[in-house]
Amino acid sequence: MTGAAADYGALVRSLLRRAAAVRQPAHGTFELTSRCDLACRMCYIRRGAGEGTADAGELAASDWLELARRAAESGMVFLLLTGGEIFLRRDFFDIYEPLTRMGLVLALYTNGTLITPEVADRLARAPASRTEITLYGATAATADAVTATPGSFAAATAGIEALVSRGVPLALKTTLTRRNAHELEAMRRMAGEWGVPFSASWLLARRPDGGPSSAEECRLSAAEGLALESEDRASADDGTERALREAGAAAGENFYCRAGRAAFVVNPAGEMNVCSLLAEPAARPLQTGFAEAWARVTGYVEAAPPASAECRACDARADCGRCPAWSMLETGTLTEPAPYLCEIARGRRDRRRRG
Amino acid sequence: MRRSQDFRLQRVGGQDLLVPLGPRVKDANALIVLNAAGRQVWELLAEDRTAEELAAALARRFEADPARVLADVRSFLDDLGRKGLLEP
Ligand code: SF4
Ligand code: SF4
Repeated sequence: MTGAAADYGALVRSLLRRAAAVRQPAHGTFELTSRCDLACRMCYIRRGAGEGTADAGELAASDWLELARRAAESGMVFLLLTGGEIFLRRDFFDIYEPLTRMGLVLALYTNGTLITPEVADRLARAPASRTEITLYGATAATADAVTATPGSFAAATAGIEALVSRGVPLALKTTLTRRNAHELEAMRRMAGEWGVPFSASWLLARRPDGGPSSAEECRLSAAEGLALESEDRASADDGTERALREAGAAAGENFYCRAGRAAFVVNPAGEMNVCSLLAEPAARPLQTGFAEAWARVTGYVEAAPPASAECRACDARADCGRCPAWSMLETGTLTEPAPYLCEIARGRRDRRRRG
Repeated sequence: MRRSQDFRLQRVGGQDLLVPLGPRVKDANALIVLNAAGRQVWELLAEDRTAEELAAALARRFEADPARVLADVRSFLDDLGRKGLLEP
């Protein structure tokens, strides 16, 4: 009559697949802020930490809760809170604590630097199912260089230890760049010593708003990424992204992920979009009602043009992670090949052929 | 016995599952998936019930032999109890 799934990730993926079939908006992402206390050069989101919630045009805590209630009524069960850096919001717990009583499966993404013992105590009282902290290196020298923020490594480490010691379910992850890839194994060891799961990814996107992020300068070359992948040391994408992606839509559709079928994202200003990388169609759930906004998002995905003829005829397609969001970021269209991904896909294809 | 108030029954794509609330996430750090019979038991446990009453209700609904259903119900209740989903 019951089963507690052995593999939590596989259970969530299968639930989202079922949700996508009936267009249930089961997975929400709330980007509570785009402000961050770090200044990673490769980041696609960040605004400075100095502004307040209102100055930065962010929804108020009461708006986020209203949105969560409406989304839950429409079928949202999973909710990821992310940023920016979520703990920069002074009213974070005004949002978080009511959410923990709504029957949602919560996840948090944070850089860990603002998790003081007091914050850890409050999280431990009603933890999210999963809190994911990003590591930027295994040493202060490297991590602080990547984040361009002296002291960030020490602060993040203290935050992780505060959560580990309170039994808050935690996972660590890293985004590899040219500056920190050499510390991958040391980061994995750190996580092992804390007894916490660890994953590494290396696929870096440009900023959706076209602002400066230097993703191209920072990201690994296709060959470097493929070398890590072939040794199973890091995957291109992180787990959640993979879960959202696992093709559920009919093969060959331009959007093959859960975005706009079972998942949506709301940005700090309250606009509902297909995913974090694709800021369309900017529906307004608080103004129009949730159902209407979700209908716009699903409609946007359904009306998307098919992938380019080149992609459709491509013999590396089975190895290619191109999606409309990536096409948009790299080419300004929803359909055209993204050269960086082409290089990766062809490398995979060739490796597979060599056997 | 009856069900704990610390879990919410949710549906994702037609699949029923129980989601822990507040502090319960820590000790029940998993989603609990229910089939149709499990869901019915959970709903009945809104009120105080014995295993026999639950088995009788299920046997009626699924047209099954009450004795056999009782064994299933007992093991289901054991499982829920171990995970802290029941109150005496
Ligand atoms: S559109 Fe692309 S980036 Fe967005 S969720 Fe789908 S696969 Fe991920
Ligand atoms: S490898 Fe390039 S051309 Fe081929 S499917 Fe991917 S993006 Fe399109």
